[in-house]
Amino acid sequence: MLGEGANGKVYLVSKGWQSYALKMGVSSIDLQSEINALKALSGDDSSRGSYLMDVDDWITPQGKEVPFYTMRYVKGLNMANYIAQHGADWFPLLGLNLLRSLGELHRERWIFGDLKLENIIVGEYGEVDLIDFGGATPFGKGVKQFTEIYDRGYWNEGSRSADAAYDLFSFGVLCLQVFAPRKLAQLSKELLPQTRSAEQLIELAREIPQLAPYRKWLEQAFDGGFSHGKEAASAWRAITHQRKPTVKNTATPRWLKVMIAISIVSLCITASLYALDYTGLLR
Amino acid sequence: MKQMLIITDGCSNVGMSPIVAAAHAKSEGITVNVVGVVDQGDLGEYGASEIHEIARAGGGLSRLVETKELAQTVQMMTRKTVVQTIQLAVQRELQAVLGNDSIEALPPEKRGEVVQVMDELTESSSLQVALLIDASASMKPKLASVEESIHDLMLSLQAREGKSEIAVFHFPGSKQEDCVLDLDWTTHLKGVHSIFPKLHMSGTTPTGPAMMKVIEYFVQHNDSKRRSEMEGMLGDDVV
Repeated sequence: MLGEGANGKVYLVSKGWQSYALKMGVSSIDLQSEINALKALSGDDSSRGSYLMDVDDWITPQGKEVPFYTMRYVKGLNMANYIAQHGADWFPLLGLNLLRSLGELHRERWIFGDLKLENIIVGEYGEVDLIDFGGATPFGKGVKQFTEIYDRGYWNEGSRSADAAYDLFSFGVLCLQVFAPRKLAQLSKELLPQTRSAEQLIELAREIPQLAPYRKWLEQAFDGGFSHGKEAASAWRAITHQRKPTVKNTATPRWLKVMIAISIVSLCITASLYALDYTGLLR
Repeated sequence: MKQMLIITDGCSNVGMSPIVAAAHAKSEGITVNVVGVVDQGDLGEYGASEIHEIARAGGGLSRLVETKELAQTVQMMTRKTVVQTIQLAVQRELQAVLGNDSIEALPPEKRGEVVQVMDELTESSSLQVALLIDASASMKPKLASVEESIHDLMLSLQAREGKSEIAVFHFPGSKQEDCVLDLDWTTHLKGVHSIFPKLHMSGTTPTGPAMMKVIEYFVQHNDSKRRSEMEGMLGDDVV
């Protein structure tokens, strides 16, 4: 067994040398809407190739019908584990690849919906694949399957009706989840429902050095400022290919730090002299 | 088609991992090939595995060779990669149309047609190769051979039907630069006697950061080309 989704269980199966993932559903209606999503996404000119392999029902010895479908099996690590194992150097590339995948869905006028760490598989060299399409929703419809902490509505930043910005908001939360999962969990626990807002998320992003180059980008994503995954991807790409890859070069020169320290110290001295003078006068 | 070819003789030791940089290149549609020059067998196991990994992440090939085989290898790798890129593209198309990605699955007469189209594309598609040369101290005695192999590569590229351009970079630069452009995109090397003027050899090998610079160069070049094409089109409309 590979895992358990909201709509059923996923098993690893094989045909000859090829491995596939097989998902068995509980309710055939829920499973069918997932299958419809996959079908729409395995359209003709999709670079993902065909996602969906086969759809059928299995009749148990007790005579119960269990719907199932098989799809491509993607081997890899989940995004958080991948970064933990291979280093944060990979983060900009994973982000870009993920945004491009989202852009492809948005081009078909679908959103992924339930974007979260667990639903992203990263291959050997940073190739990104989305799995579990239970949350996939056509533009304009309501998102049925989502995860609270990634949800725009949960943070009081908009509706649950499907538009590209919904996925991009979740992507923003995902960035925080990668680098500060504990702080994020604590944040959502401490805040009252009505006080949750993108402000808190942006503030948390400010504390994470790895996200520093993407701060503006994240603000825009939390603000619903991108109307399409493709647009968001090209903004992300522009940042990735412009900044200095090593943080060291951009650090403040030492002489500047010394000067700043000197000016702060002298400011303090003058201020305290003034204060002394003032109190002296009063007496 | 876009390729980056790295010629190096050691491990990277500064900045971002070259493997990450190679994966970046691949996501921008640039295939990365790596040649490791091993004359005194000074590369070590770690260096060899890094070279292999860079090429794997960049979707290209890697070879460990001696200096005297350099020209032959560079030329061969570039050609092989062109063929491979075409094959991959054709396979992807077949997958989309037939749901099967092997050419063998086609009936023999169809197979012939497909292969013919592939040969055609291999010959006529336009190609850009950026060469990234490791100019750390230990590479010094090998640079003459590197230069020779660049001339040799240009010669075989000129024989292609399609437009072929090369650009040459070396790394590290003299003043903490990650890499330096020696030769901008060109289709010939007429009048170019020395690609590397006088290099200040330095000890560090910032392979990853240098690769990122080359990717940036590719990206900017293509974006500006597209923009000028767009402007050209708009201009026509206005007139």
